[in-house]
Amino acid sequence: MATLPIDNQIRRLRFEHGEMTQQQLAERIGVTRQTVNAIELGKYSPSLEVAFRIAAVFNVPLEQVFQYRQNG
Amino acid sequence: MSFREKSAWISFVCLLLLTVACVAATVHHPHDAEGHLHLALAVFGAFGLLQVVLHLIVVAQAPKDARTPKDERELLIELRAARVGFYALVIAEVLAMAGVHVHGSWGTFMGTVLIAILIAWLVKLGTEITLYRRGG
Repeated sequence: MATLPIDNQIRRLRFEHGEMTQQQLAERIGVTRQTVNAIELGKYSPSLEVAFRIAAVFNVPLEQVFQYRQNG
Repeated sequence: MSFREKSAWISFVCLLLLTVACVAATVHHPHDAEGHLHLALAVFGAFGLLQVVLHLIVVAQAPKDARTPKDERELLIELRAARVGFYALVIAEVLAMAGVHVHGSWGTFMGTVLIAILIAWLVKLGTEITLYRRGG
């Protein structure tokens, strides 16, 4: 399976926010834990809305959560 | 494994068993149109019953998971699987119609149309399971 050209810092951000679990993040952004796991592992690109919700949970700009790999 | 993935596995296994039963019936009684109609009704009835019972068991194990509405990834998986299933249905139905020209009986046609629907459904569920396994 081809890797998506988008990196994310969700795992790091979760740990920086009191070791938040995937389940807790999932509940706050309104998706399942499996979806958070897929996003974190780079297997699924979330919609813009979910991406913004994740950034809002961590109180950081979107580009600090997701980075587009130009040559990916 | 998520509730949706378990649900897809349950449907897949139930349907696979029923498809095998249908194929066996069609092969053994290829020209019995009325028999195939009764078989189709029995198959869908048994499928529904099996599905309900097994789903109730899974829901009892993880009620919170089952109550959670589908999120965007799960909806996307369902849509992608439905698209693959649609192509499988078209191909299977064309093959079923071709089968009538070869064997030339309504009994065969009824049987093969039913099998075509079941195969397309299996393809859809199989695609869903694959996409859940891959992550989306």
